[in-house]
Amino acid sequence: MSFLSIDQTDLHHSMELCFAGAACDLRTNSSEVARVLQYLSISTGDTVPSGFKMRVVVDVSSEEAAGEPHFRGLHHVVTASFGRSNVFVFDILRRTLSAGVSAAVARDGRFWKEKLIPITLGVLGSAMGLVPVHCACLELDGDGLLIAGVSGAGKSTLSVALSEDGFNYVSDDWTYISRLGDGIVAHGTSAPVKLLPDAVEHFRSLQRHSLQRSMNGELAYEVDIAEAFGARVERACEPRWLIFLERTLEAGAVLTPMSSAEARRYVNSSVERLPPQLDEAVATREQTIGRVALLPSWRFRYGGTPQFAAKELREFVVHRRQEIYV
Amino acid sequence: MTDKQCWHPDLLRRFVPTPYVFSKWDGRNRLSVESNDLEIALSVRQAGIFHRQSNRAGGLLCKLIRDMAGPVDGSEITIVSDGALRVLYLGRGTILIHDHERSEFLGFIARNVTVQELVSSLTPALLDAYSQQ
Repeated sequence: MSFLSIDQTDLHHSMELCFAGAACDLRTNSSEVARVLQYLSISTGDTVPSGFKMRVVVDVSSEEAAGEPHFRGLHHVVTASFGRSNVFVFDILRRTLSAGVSAAVARDGRFWKEKLIPITLGVLGSAMGLVPVHCACLELDGDGLLIAGVSGAGKSTLSVALSEDGFNYVSDDWTYISRLGDGIVAHGTSAPVKLLPDAVEHFRSLQRHSLQRSMNGELAYEVDIAEAFGARVERACEPRWLIFLERTLEAGAVLTPMSSAEARRYVNSSVERLPPQLDEAVATREQTIGRVALLPSWRFRYGGTPQFAAKELREFVVHRRQEIYV
Repeated sequence: MTDKQCWHPDLLRRFVPTPYVFSKWDGRNRLSVESNDLEIALSVRQAGIFHRQSNRAGGLLCKLIRDMAGPVDGSEITIVSDGALRVLYLGRGTILIHDHERSEFLGFIARNVTVQELVSSLTPALLDAYSQQ
């Protein structure tokens, strides 16, 4: 039996970090973990109401790489394990992540960047006033565009096409929304953009990359959008519009307004069901969702390439901004 | 989109129904046991685990799920402790959680773990971790 007492281990590396606007109080016994997480930390200046604690103990005698993920949760506790040596306990009420990891995982920057940080924000976000919404987010000259849609609607390919068409990239799949005054702020993470195998038809540069098995078992390209496509990355922006993406077989593009009630239903459907022990977090989340639903919302039905859809959306944004300024 | 809330699949298995609910009083303190497995619920109620937890004043709520979908692997026990929370892993599939402050004992029990093993070995290993410390 091995016993890992995090509160009694000397965690002599201590630092204040920031992920998606959420302050993170990190304590660890590993300079490697501190270095990797400090590299990934990005302060956007728009911090969410409460931060979280991260306690990481590294077992230097273990070299076990991150294995298959296994998640479970009851009441306010969620656990994740990636093999026997890599265990993560999320205490949502106390906004704390307690972890024991191997030396191999401690220095695996991709694991922290692509898996652990997005998972932590997804699990603890609701207790911090940070709502994970299933949508992409792009930004043009300070104005944010949230692009929602069911899985397979083409959010990621459209995000890449918009990035190639002058937009700054914030996120392609999950965007973390927090309230700031009367408005909202959309935050991205350092997660890679995930493109399904057929995306190579639209983006030839993907041929240089290989397909990987993603966490949900899908075979996909998971690439850093800045490296793969030269996209400019923004970590946060103020959303102005919410677009619901629907692909049709018919060529062309049509934008029609949507009610805030429809928008609210969509956003509600993308958030995780939480147990009664987290009622306070649910209430805070509802308020943020209410603000998202107040954004001008449009349904965007299109048939054609992602590049065609990007041009249509660019025209839409330019046109709407002219209206705002007039 | 309809008016009815549609939730994602319960991948964490947070909302597994627990139809077997028992309560037991020890003086003024209440032991409450919920499970989706009758044998687990009865055995935990009878096992006297209440006396193992150091903070008895708040009673104890136990919610234990027989997890038929989880992995069945390993016999190594790992206990992670941080503040009020202690988590015991047996392999990856059996996970027992004790929140000392909230007096909650929660868990998922893999299909290869017997009720006998749960009450006589794993539960004491978790709850006695306080005294071992």
